[in-house]
Amino acid sequence: MKEKIIGETIIEVDSVSKTFDRRIKALRDVSLKVKQKEVVVIIGPSGSGKSTLLRCLNGLEETERGSIIIDDTPLDEHHKNRLKIRTEVGMVFQNFNLFPHMTVRDNIRTGPRFVRKEAIDEVDIRTEDLLEKVGITDKIDSFPRQLSGGQQQRVAIARALAMNPLIMLFDEPTSALDPEMVGEVLEVMKTLAHEGMTMVVVTHEMGFAREVGDRIIFMDEGKIVEESSVEDFFENPEKERTKLFLSKILDNGGCE
Amino acid sequence: MTTGQKKKFKLIDLILITLIIALIIYVLYRIRVSIRYEWSWDIIPKYLFRFDDDRGRFVASTITHGFIMTIKLSIWGIILGTLIGVIMGILRVQNGLFGRFLGRIYVDIIRNIPPIVLVFIFYFFFSSQILDNLGFEEAVLRAGPAMQNFVRIIFIDPKLLNEFLSAALSIAIYEGAYITEIVRAGIESIPKGQWEAGHSIGLSRFAQFRHIILPQAFKNVMPPLSGQFISTIKDSAIVSVISVPELSFQGMQVMASTYATFETWIVITILYFVLTFSCSSIFSRLLKKMQSAD
Repeated sequence: MKEKIIGETIIEVDSVSKTFDRRIKALRDVSLKVKQKEVVVIIGPSGSGKSTLLRCLNGLEETERGSIIIDDTPLDEHHKNRLKIRTEVGMVFQNFNLFPHMTVRDNIRTGPRFVRKEAIDEVDIRTEDLLEKVGITDKIDSFPRQLSGGQQQRVAIARALAMNPLIMLFDEPTSALDPEMVGEVLEVMKTLAHEGMTMVVVTHEMGFAREVGDRIIFMDEGKIVEESSVEDFFENPEKERTKLFLSKILDNGGCE
Repeated sequence: MTTGQKKKFKLIDLILITLIIALIIYVLYRIRVSIRYEWSWDIIPKYLFRFDDDRGRFVASTITHGFIMTIKLSIWGIILGTLIGVIMGILRVQNGLFGRFLGRIYVDIIRNIPPIVLVFIFYFFFSSQILDNLGFEEAVLRAGPAMQNFVRIIFIDPKLLNEFLSAALSIAIYEGAYITEIVRAGIESIPKGQWEAGHSIGLSRFAQFRHIILPQAFKNVMPPLSGQFISTIKDSAIVSVISVPELSFQGMQVMASTYATFETWIVITILYFVLTFSCSSIFSRLLKKMQSAD
């Protein structure tokens, strides 16, 4: 199933640290490399810094120390670099964050129109293609509040894809969904993974991690505790902390 | 009481209404009997409209002039106050320290001094010192009759231009402080995730604001903003202390020359009420339309 060829390094995080409110250490000396077409799943207990790490990757959070390089562009204070990274990195949020005052169509075409200044007919064709891809063609003129949670999240994925990103970040994309809608969102994510999208996914969905993940990163207290291939991670985890977490999460049985 | 239930007229309501009516009748009776107030409604009409012999038709008189002046002052106060409030409100939610500081200082100062003091400050410093030196009034007086007429229609008689400008500006600056807070609250009521979603699709900070935050904030801001507009109409009465001939000032003039205190102020009250009530009905209709539009 995983016949795709993993490419060059596209995300390079080097000893990044971050503190909230001068006290709470959110990230301590985190280093990470992600290659093209790789699907990296980040798991860990709440407050472990996994979302913070993800949000650092597109500049939503500022880092204090260390460096982040994405597609050979350093995420530094240069506005041009930051903008390039923001347009190349798509993000999907836990709470969808669709624009409630816009239709599905406008949600999707806002980025291409106002950032890339693309012609409207061109964007419209792509919008329709994207909606077909996420399976919501009939809701193009609906407003977000008229959609179910699963549909909203799929529109949010389409919105991020509209910018033709090189990398997609998913921040607990199914955590706010009713159980029966988790599947439809994961299905879209699986398709993306198979198409060779580089993805970094923060999730509690172990089934998803096992099926499409290339690598799993386990974080706790702002540090990367364990980093291994999917098979190794589930079959023989090295660290005690990982075993404890896995036994808790798998015993509950809710995640498979 | 649940909303489904039909409101019933109860005995207690009847007793209350009877008591209130009795009280009103009693007060009116005391006015008639013990104060011996002589009602003279017949002198009021000529202060509303009088017959102009030269032109051979009825023209607006003292109170009507004041009514129109109050409308003009309110319109200018609302326009300028909204302008100030929107700019300051946006400054207050900026990341830049200077803008936030400026907005904060403005709101704190204005909200912590009595409006009448503000009006005096504007009149004695701004109008008498700065505006006089700038020479707007003189310029208009020297300009042709077309210009004077224009000023008369949109502001006031050119001879009173400085008073009008300082009155409109003090109203605008006073209301602007409250509008600033309304705008700030409206912007801050939009969840952080909306900014973040805009950020993540590459929109600039300005584009996030313009396309995502403002349209949503606008809807939240309209109800309190229309309330503030109504307040502006009422608050405009305060500039009567610097002799701007608006409704309250004209009321005092008429009272002074006729001694018809009750009649004058009843008329003034009705006129204010008509103005504010019709405005608030228009606003609430507009708001309803806005809500049903989506």
